[in-house]
Amino acid sequence: MVTLLRGTLRPLRLFQVFPGPAADVPLRAASQGTGLLYPEHIPTSLLQKVLLTAGSAGMALYNPYRHDMVAVLGETTGCRALRVLRDQMKRDSEGAQILQERPRISLSTLDLDKLRSLPEGSLAREYLRFLDVNRVSPDTRAPTRFVDDEELAYVIQRYREVHDMLHTLLGMPTNILGEIVVKWFEAVQTGLPMCILGALFGPIRLSAQHLQVLVSELVPWAVQNGRRAPCVLNLYYERRWEQPLKALREELGITDPPTHIKA
Amino acid sequence: MAAPRSCALWGSCGRGWSRVMRGCRLPGLRSSWPGSPLGARLLSQEKRATETHFGFETVSEEEKGGKVYQVFESVAKKYDVMNDMMSLGIHRLWKDLLLWRMHPFPGTQLLDVAGGTGDIAFRFLNYIQAQHRRKQKRQLRTQQNLSWEEIAQKYQNEEDSLNGSHVVVCDINKEMLKIGRKKACAQGYKTGLAWVLGDAEELPFDDDKFDVYTIAFGIRNVTHIDRALQEAHRVLKPGGRFLCLEFSQVTNPLVSRLYDLYSFQVIPVMGEVIAKDWKSYQYLVESIRQFPAQEEFKEMIEDAGFQKVTYESLTSGIVAIHSGFKL
Repeated sequence: MVTLLRGTLRPLRLFQVFPGPAADVPLRAASQGTGLLYPEHIPTSLLQKVLLTAGSAGMALYNPYRHDMVAVLGETTGCRALRVLRDQMKRDSEGAQILQERPRISLSTLDLDKLRSLPEGSLAREYLRFLDVNRVSPDTRAPTRFVDDEELAYVIQRYREVHDMLHTLLGMPTNILGEIVVKWFEAVQTGLPMCILGALFGPIRLSAQHLQVLVSELVPWAVQNGRRAPCVLNLYYERRWEQPLKALREELGITDPPTHIKA
Repeated sequence: MAAPRSCALWGSCGRGWSRVMRGCRLPGLRSSWPGSPLGARLLSQEKRATETHFGFETVSEEEKGGKVYQVFESVAKKYDVMNDMMSLGIHRLWKDLLLWRMHPFPGTQLLDVAGGTGDIAFRFLNYIQAQHRRKQKRQLRTQQNLSWEEIAQKYQNEEDSLNGSHVVVCDINKEMLKIGRKKACAQGYKTGLAWVLGDAEELPFDDDKFDVYTIAFGIRNVTHIDRALQEAHRVLKPGGRFLCLEFSQVTNPLVSRLYDLYSFQVIPVMGEVIAKDWKSYQYLVESIRQFPAQEEFKEMIEDAGFQKVTYESLTSGIVAIHSGFKL
């Protein structure tokens, strides 16, 4: 009777959502981990995903400073697009390497001194300048939680970490106008519903003047470049730090932006 | 029961799970399992002696306090907003009902444990003040020949509006107390209120000090509920009343299913969207399931020495008010 009860209790622990800060506590180790595909995973039902999608979309529009809501929206809606992206990465040689080795871009994995020592005009120096000018850090990306496949969770994490690289490549600052332009580029490149929604609904909060510039010049430029360039997730950025930014832009077919946007 | 529903199997799992879960929930995860062979029981008793539940997770007892502290530290700022959203404002009615059951009179010394953001304390002060105002009005009506100055003077005498009533808000969590104090300032409660940092299992008060002890939506987070009840018994004066407002077990099966659906599907999502905190709200709904049912809690209160213990289920048993007297 006891073992039966314990046996039935154990599978119910599949649906716990507390990975806990440290796995070194023996009492908890047995009860967590089963059912969690990766450390931060929170398994969700279809109903919860639908509610999360609606809630995060609403909150992101209501309060544009809630970047985490945009991230959650991407996770709950990106299932199909992520699969397509992952397959695309697998077909490309550099992309397959990324999937294999799973590099992460964060302050702990980047050797900032080495990057700073690289020549002016290289990807590394431009990236660091972008981080300084816009006062952002690669560590502000939230970890993936609601994707129910471990490889796809990495793909979306990689997409988030590469987002700053895209800002550098496109020469866009992190204000709302720059973000929308990058979203259009990403929407064309990745097909993620979150990017498409962001690209379409982001401009709601723009002034008429900005909207005009956006629609007439920036969006066509972003879409053109997005179509022309190969999938940006296939680039192993960690191996291209020394490459001059200009050369990388030429390789991807990215032209200069039509109007320079101030940060 | 509710746990399987938070996964992709939602909709297809049968009532079997809920029956099993309900069956093994009552003994809790800490008492020894009946019917196990003696040898295994000794060993398993030892191990389980320091284990308890944290939601649906099993943790050691030392850990639970810390984890609960972290949960409330993280939810403190959005606590009131989330309460309104999750209960659709009904929590206000529940708390009002608690005060009506309490029916305090001027001069009552109230101890509100786990009262962090002050909801019960403020309602207590409002109740006393409203009572005082009604009494004043009645008095003035009976005195027909007062001059305007005398009437104005009677109304201006705000000092005595509480008439010795006092409420001590005790909470183990600094963040919750901070929010409570801010609210008190903002809403203009200056006298009759004290804020104390303390543990419900070891209250920093002398014996026989308070007329009424309340704990609203707090006792299920305490690691040792029996100790908290004993402390409640200790600090109450003889004749004092213990009142507990807490989530309880729903009796109606249809309401129960809807309630489970709402708890496990909607509330963590709300927590994520509004408060950026899925896990704390997952803990909240799980801890509700781990709390004993009305009858069992009544027995626990009786074990602590209270008499004339009664309970009243509200909203089909979603919450219950338990009351006991120290005689």
